[in-house]
Amino acid sequence: MHNFDFVKPATIADAVKALGADGAQPLSGGQTLIPTMKQRLAAPTVLVSLTGIGEMKGVCMGDGGLHIGAATSHAVVAQEAASSYPALAALAGGIGDPAVRNKGTIGGSLANNDPAACYPSAVLASGATVVTNKRKIAADDYFQGMFSTALAEGEIITSVIFPIPQKAAYVKFNQPASRFALTAVFVAKYAGGVRVAVTGASAGGVFRWAEAEAALSSNFSASAIAGLSADASDMIGDLHGTQAYRANLVKVLTGRAVTAAG
Amino acid sequence: MTKIELACDLEGNFIAFRTETLANVGAYLSNFSTVTPTFLHGTLMAGPYKVPNVYVNVKTVFTNTAPVDAYRGAGRPEATYSLERVVDKMCRELGLDPFEVRRKNFVTTDMFPYTTPVALAYDTGDYHATLDKVMEMADVAGFEKRRAASAAKGKLRGMGLSTWIEACGIAPSHLVGILGARVGLYDAATVRVNATGNLSVMVGAHSHGQGHETVFAQIVADKLGIPESSVEIVHGDTAKIPFGMGSYGSRSLAVCGSAMSKAVDKIIAKGKKIAAHMLEAAEGDITFEDGKFSVAGTDKAKTFGEIAFSAYVPHNYPLETLEPGLEETAFYDPANFTYPAGAYLCEVEVDEGTGKVDVVAFHCADDFGNIMNPMIVEGQVHGGVGQGIGQALCEFTTYDENGQLLTGSYMDYAMPRAEDVPFYNVDYSCQTPCTHNPLGVKGCGEAGAIGSPPAVVNAVIDALQRGGHKHVTHIDMPVSPSRVWTAMNA
Repeated sequence: MHNFDFVKPATIADAVKALGADGAQPLSGGQTLIPTMKQRLAAPTVLVSLTGIGEMKGVCMGDGGLHIGAATSHAVVAQEAASSYPALAALAGGIGDPAVRNKGTIGGSLANNDPAACYPSAVLASGATVVTNKRKIAADDYFQGMFSTALAEGEIITSVIFPIPQKAAYVKFNQPASRFALTAVFVAKYAGGVRVAVTGASAGGVFRWAEAEAALSSNFSASAIAGLSADASDMIGDLHGTQAYRANLVKVLTGRAVTAAG
Repeated sequence: MTKIELACDLEGNFIAFRTETLANVGAYLSNFSTVTPTFLHGTLMAGPYKVPNVYVNVKTVFTNTAPVDAYRGAGRPEATYSLERVVDKMCRELGLDPFEVRRKNFVTTDMFPYTTPVALAYDTGDYHATLDKVMEMADVAGFEKRRAASAAKGKLRGMGLSTWIEACGIAPSHLVGILGARVGLYDAATVRVNATGNLSVMVGAHSHGQGHETVFAQIVADKLGIPESSVEIVHGDTAKIPFGMGSYGSRSLAVCGSAMSKAVDKIIAKGKKIAAHMLEAAEGDITFEDGKFSVAGTDKAKTFGEIAFSAYVPHNYPLETLEPGLEETAFYDPANFTYPAGAYLCEVEVDEGTGKVDVVAFHCADDFGNIMNPMIVEGQVHGGVGQGIGQALCEFTTYDENGQLLTGSYMDYAMPRAEDVPFYNVDYSCQTPCTHNPLGVKGCGEAGAIGSPPAVVNAVIDALQRGGHKHVTHIDMPVSPSRVWTAMNA
């Protein structure tokens, strides 16, 4: 790891200011950035920690649904969202292991947008709003492909607002080695329709499965998607699973998520 | 890559096994790279079976991948895997019972010592006993009920058997010399009875988690009738220990333990001379039992501590015929390998939607000869079986066409976790003591890793067959979810 300076501001304004420095990079839970730095694949000159900012932490109900501070750890979400949004809490409680869950944050996960991360599927399936220091971004506009988001340089996610669905469930199938999602599906049923978001499967990152959404919006049961099949041509094919295998998982897990949502 | 063929009559009596193997040794040779696929593998290709003909042809090839070396079992898991898979496939094709076919082909107890067509001479064993035991442990008769319960959960259940044997406790130096090795494979131990009465035992085998400190001390203490806490096992520091050959090939207890046992025998023999002098009796009349040297037929006796004290404070001591002090070294080169064997039975559940395999039961009936420490033996079997399950289900080293390792970190190389293995059911009550080492023990360190992979894969194929996927007769390890699903849907 190369040398770097470390600052830990207490307000969003101070964090934005610190990020103006040359080679500065925001650090949240550090579950991706720190290993990357250890391998010398990244060498920021200044790390601006976001975990000391009180206004970026916590879970509470508010306008538009459940508000989660961007610097809130997975462990806290797993605990504090359990009554208001059980499917989301269950997702948070299944990320990595206890050490990862106590350090990793929702904002860090969304800013990184790993194609196999759990949170992006919940945000997209919930039609959540990503709130930054500058604006509010709809989930459908936020994710722009693998490791790519709508965030501008120096823009910080401060919170995420999740509308609470009538029914929802997240079903993850682990990649056998990393235990990231080989494929995982978040299904959320709202008064206006059903949203289905898939992570892990596509080279384009998290995506919505439109055909399944249409079928489930008229009949919210696993049998509604029996005749559908996900398009394998967009899927990732690697040593852990072929494209066809991942396309199968999308369908199987969607059905199981619908059943689990009840 | 191994291609194996089996010839049998219509009743399932084996006539011949034939294997052709291309073994990748990577870009450079390392210690055991060619030994593993050749003589450690080829000499086991008769398995526990009285098959009259065995043909093995192995070509080792250099490639652009990393050099390879011995892994737990080294060649013997490969032999067991190919044999037990082809036997299973043959039973399925001929509609024969896999338990009965193995039973009728086993070497029987009246045939020992039994020389196989591939050079090894099995000293002792009882393969029927371990098979009977594992069937009882696994409640084979109740399988259909368990299968129905799994089906009710939407899972396909299968049962897989593996009857394994291995050659370990390496090795007779003369034999490995014939096979081309350039080392001796004895081991050594020095037993030093300190003047204070406690013992320091310097051993050539290294302990890095195997529990030698416990078992070796236990053996010395038991032989001398003293507390285990009086025995210190010294290992690993080459400035302190005699020249041994180390820990590998399930040899520490069978080879180094035997050297230690022989050194203790020398201590007892010298103790008898000292006792004879002190008790004014003939050496031949001295017996040693429960820590006491006694004159047979009398109540005259000296304790081990008194004899040790006398050796270091030789005021009343036969100095003209015997050196003072009490310290002995023994080197031991075994006359043969040891041949542990056993029967493993695995049950799996397969998720048809995802291809994921869950190992839901694993039963092991092993014959390790005499058992010195049951807890450590169980631990070895647990670890070995866990490693074998990992190999069967998830562990995979693979490269791209340029020799670039694709599974270069634990993000891609899948190790088994605790959640991937069941609670093991381990039994070692079938014991045919090794006939040629003084402890009557057989190696147990690699057994689990040798016997388990084919049991898992056989169970997966069984589950798929019972589930109606009749076209699936084989899946290469690791039987990952993707591979299982792809095979089912091919």
